[in-house]
Amino acid sequence: MELELKQLRDRCLADLNAVEELKTLDNVRIKYLGKKGELTIALKGMGKLSNEERPIIGKLANEIREEIENNISAQKHALEQKEIEAQIKEESIDVSLPGKKHQAGNLHPLTTTVNELKEIFLGMGFSIAEGPEIEWAKYNFDYLNVPQDHSARDLQDTFYYEDDIVLRTQTSPVQVRVMQEQKPPLRIISPGRVYRCDEIDATHSPVFHQMEGLVIDKGITMSDLKGTLDLFAKKLFGEQTKTKFRPHQFYFTEPSAEMDVTCFKCGGVGCKVCSNTGWIEILGCGMVHPNVLRFCGIDPDEYSGFAFGMGLDRITMIKYGINDLRLLFENDLRFLAQFK
Amino acid sequence: MLVSLNWLKEFVDIKMSPYDFGEALTMSGTKVETLTVVSENVANILTGKITKIEPHPNADKLTVCTVDMGADERVIVTAAKNVFEGAIVSVAVDGAVLANGTKIGTNDFRGLLSHGMFCSIEELGMNTDLFSKEIMEGILILPENTPLGMDARELLWLNDVIIDVELTANRSDCQSIIGIAREASATLDLPMAGVTTYDTVESTNQIADYLSVRIEDPACPRYVAKMLKVKKIEASPLWMQIKLQNSGVRPINNIVDVTNYVMLELGQPLHAFDYDSLQSQEIVVKTTTNKKIVTLDDKERDIDETMLMITNGKVPVAIAGVMGGENSEITEKTSLIVLESANFNKGSVRLTAKKLGLRTEASSRFEKGVDPELAGMAALRATQLLLEIGACEVIEGLIDVYPSVASLKKVNLDINWFNTFVGISLTIDEIAKMLTRLFFNVEKSSDYVLEVEVPSYRLDIDLKEDLAEEVVRIFGYDMIPGTIMGGETMVGGKTPVQKFEDALKNILVGQGYYETLTSSFTSEKRLHGLNSQLDENLVPLINPLGEENSIMRHTLIGHQLEVISLNYNRKNPFGRFFELSNTYRKNTKSGELPIEEQKLAISSYGGEDYFELKGVVELLLEQSGIKYPDFIAGGSDFLHPGRKAEIFVDGIILGEIGEIHPVVVKNYELPKRCYICQLSFKALFDCSSLDNKFTDLPKFPASNRDLAILLKADIPAAAVETIIRKNSGDILESIDLFDVYTGAQIPDGYKSLAYALNFRHHGRTLNDNDINPVIEQILGELKRSFDAQLRE
Ligand SMILES: [Zn+2]
Repeated sequence: MELELKQLRDRCLADLNAVEELKTLDNVRIKYLGKKGELTIALKGMGKLSNEERPIIGKLANEIREEIENNISAQKHALEQKEIEAQIKEESIDVSLPGKKHQAGNLHPLTTTVNELKEIFLGMGFSIAEGPEIEWAKYNFDYLNVPQDHSARDLQDTFYYEDDIVLRTQTSPVQVRVMQEQKPPLRIISPGRVYRCDEIDATHSPVFHQMEGLVIDKGITMSDLKGTLDLFAKKLFGEQTKTKFRPHQFYFTEPSAEMDVTCFKCGGVGCKVCSNTGWIEILGCGMVHPNVLRFCGIDPDEYSGFAFGMGLDRITMIKYGINDLRLLFENDLRFLAQFK
Repeated sequence: MLVSLNWLKEFVDIKMSPYDFGEALTMSGTKVETLTVVSENVANILTGKITKIEPHPNADKLTVCTVDMGADERVIVTAAKNVFEGAIVSVAVDGAVLANGTKIGTNDFRGLLSHGMFCSIEELGMNTDLFSKEIMEGILILPENTPLGMDARELLWLNDVIIDVELTANRSDCQSIIGIAREASATLDLPMAGVTTYDTVESTNQIADYLSVRIEDPACPRYVAKMLKVKKIEASPLWMQIKLQNSGVRPINNIVDVTNYVMLELGQPLHAFDYDSLQSQEIVVKTTTNKKIVTLDDKERDIDETMLMITNGKVPVAIAGVMGGENSEITEKTSLIVLESANFNKGSVRLTAKKLGLRTEASSRFEKGVDPELAGMAALRATQLLLEIGACEVIEGLIDVYPSVASLKKVNLDINWFNTFVGISLTIDEIAKMLTRLFFNVEKSSDYVLEVEVPSYRLDIDLKEDLAEEVVRIFGYDMIPGTIMGGETMVGGKTPVQKFEDALKNILVGQGYYETLTSSFTSEKRLHGLNSQLDENLVPLINPLGEENSIMRHTLIGHQLEVISLNYNRKNPFGRFFELSNTYRKNTKSGELPIEEQKLAISSYGGEDYFELKGVVELLLEQSGIKYPDFIAGGSDFLHPGRKAEIFVDGIILGEIGEIHPVVVKNYELPKRCYICQLSFKALFDCSSLDNKFTDLPKFPASNRDLAILLKADIPAAAVETIIRKNSGDILESIDLFDVYTGAQIPDGYKSLAYALNFRHHGRTLNDNDINPVIEQILGELKRSFDAQLRE
């Protein structure tokens, strides 16, 4: 019996060793350890043994079962390992092959610029105000203190829909509307489309875009104007940017100024972008003219404020180094796709 | 405006470098665009007198000139034809440099040495545009009294710096040398010299024997006339010619040059008439019914009764403030001149010049506004110069018609207000000092209020804010500190609509679409390409830039197609575009502005089909919280009749989608298949529901059923889906149409739609007893409505 069991064990181990695939491993288990397996059957014959032999053979049989089971699980592990290795080997790829194409589009560079400007001012507590592009002449001119006989009102300069309705030449009418409709304090920006009778060329377009800003509150000073716009310039062009305010004239503001920033390309040394001046003119600004406040129902003795305006197309061109305004309106994909 | 720095220095002793001066002017409000030296290179060119001219022994075309250089004598060989004995010329001596950088030495000309060369206008670097061809091509002949051996750089102001300044519209007083000199004086805090005017005490009023002046129109606030006897009409002196040249004005003769000189110097346009050809003893300023006038430039101009004229009482002799008439022009025969120094209303001159399409130095000055006070001074300055250069003798007396003399404006400046407004703290004395530098008369009316008298020429100063700017620009904008606004904290931020715009754009970008930017203009012609009737509520412009930009667009479709066409024709193989932009429509209510509506257009070509675009639109709607949009066959005529749909949500139309009609494809030169969708942004926003709320994850399993339904091919799938939904109660979780099949085993004219239905109850597990009745009800309803059958 003892010999029989040992031979059974040897056979089983030989069978196990011969197994090459996981799915046939179970067959070996069933053949020896199953309900009708060889070991099970062998153990059933234990009844015939003497009382002395029985515990010895029983012990041996349990040892052999354990040994077989250990071997099965070891073999199972080995085969699984082998299978994974085989799978890995088979499945290896050339990881340097190109990825599958997923086309993402992008926003128009003008929108990206506008978004950037909006974020800066939103962060300073401004809201975004909007208004009609086709606007009453009085909102576009009269309330903005533009003299009655000013040439900006001419048919050569401004598009007219009716005698008293124009395509707005600036987004300032939005400021007028906000001032008339809301009580100070006010902090708004108004980006949008504006129109002037200019034939299209590399730097002009009859349709272009502006963003204007307005702050009205008690005790707003010219130094607030400088501080706010200086901060804006630093946020847009970088911490090292310096600003220069030059006196200028606008009907909407008094005093008025133009703001230059140090050239972001050369840092102020002088280059092609800044026509060797080291400075780039970026916006017009000033303290809101008391006439404008009065036209809009705000008492200039109680409130003061500042306003500013900038050309978005121009800033976009400067920012991306675009040399021809027409490219912005042409929409050639080879252009559009450059602004991811 | 061009300003000669040398001329400016006659009024203000500017010692700093031209660059620093330009910076200082810019920072005080007179923007300097460029600084240009007349001739940077010229060196060692001296004046000399030709004393002898002899033929060259070896060359017919050359002559040999002996030249007296003052200190020495030298021989110059020249090919120039306009030289003569006694002529004073500019000589480039050995080591000289010409304007173009050429160095001059001693040269051998056919066996004779030439110790230098004579120079032309161009070689000296002067503005060749201002000289006649004859003068330009020859050697520059200098006036007889020119000293010899003098450096041409000094003599001809070749070292002058021409400052190009950009003036703001309100500073009409700066349109002159003295205007800029006043700014320089205030900016640099330097004294300013005055001008010499004719101030002889006259004993008679001789002028009355010749002339009287009448103003019949308020558009002429003042008319000053002085008469002079002409001694000789000739070229004006060199110094005067040079100043005119360096200001960009062409010298003509002594009389005309003086009128131009005074205009440049003081800013008052002047005009000189030939008295005899006026054929009248009076000048009347009025509008006339005359139709024509020939102006000084020999052009016949159409005039009308709105234009102010200078007349001899009967016919116009000049267009007021714009240009003189040929009929009263100064000629060589002129013996008496009437010098006009008048003031004309800026609006009147502007309209006249605009109507005539004629802008002159005079009209552009009047258009910006000229101080009426200047007229008298300018007449006397011109008289002084005409006498000084020996051109004229004076006729005693002055005509000055000046009906209402304006008194000087006074504005109070409260320095406490000023300091608060600007955000600085200056003392009343500091402020008074700066205003005085700007020629304001300042008096303290209390410890903190200044009473400021405004000079007559400062037409731009009316309010305390105007004075604030004056003080601040002299103090220096760069001296104002930058502060962060105080006051109430403001939250700011975007509105829900603005956020929704951003979200839509981001989805489209993520799906591979490029945002476009197109113009707002279109035209009837461009719209005709869309195969549709013209909308009757278009918004046409009164003054468009050409027909193709004559209407404000009411749709984005045309522009999207133009974008596709451009890209297709430039061989970009495919394109996906979108634009969220305004469209415009006439307002049928009178007295209101046109209606502006934002629309969203999405378009594509190359490798896409209708369902790809539809999928993107569905995604947009889904992301907007819109659950069950209806795509119902139909839509505009620019779309393919068999491939177009209108999009509805709860009966509200959002827009339309489809393939472009083959006719439109042809009209716009498009690729064969392009797809487009246009949605109303407002409708989309109104239908959207973006307030997401969390719902518990399902606790019970779902049951899936597949249904293949056989029905007539022309029944829209959407209708089948609607029936499935309606008959499923609230246990239907999702429907997925996973197959549309025609072909083998399907009868002609029929199709098979295969749906995967997903049922789920939130409170328990569903079994066949729950689902089977639902399926039966669906199938029953499909059979009743469409005679549809379950396909086995
Ligand atoms: Zn630069």
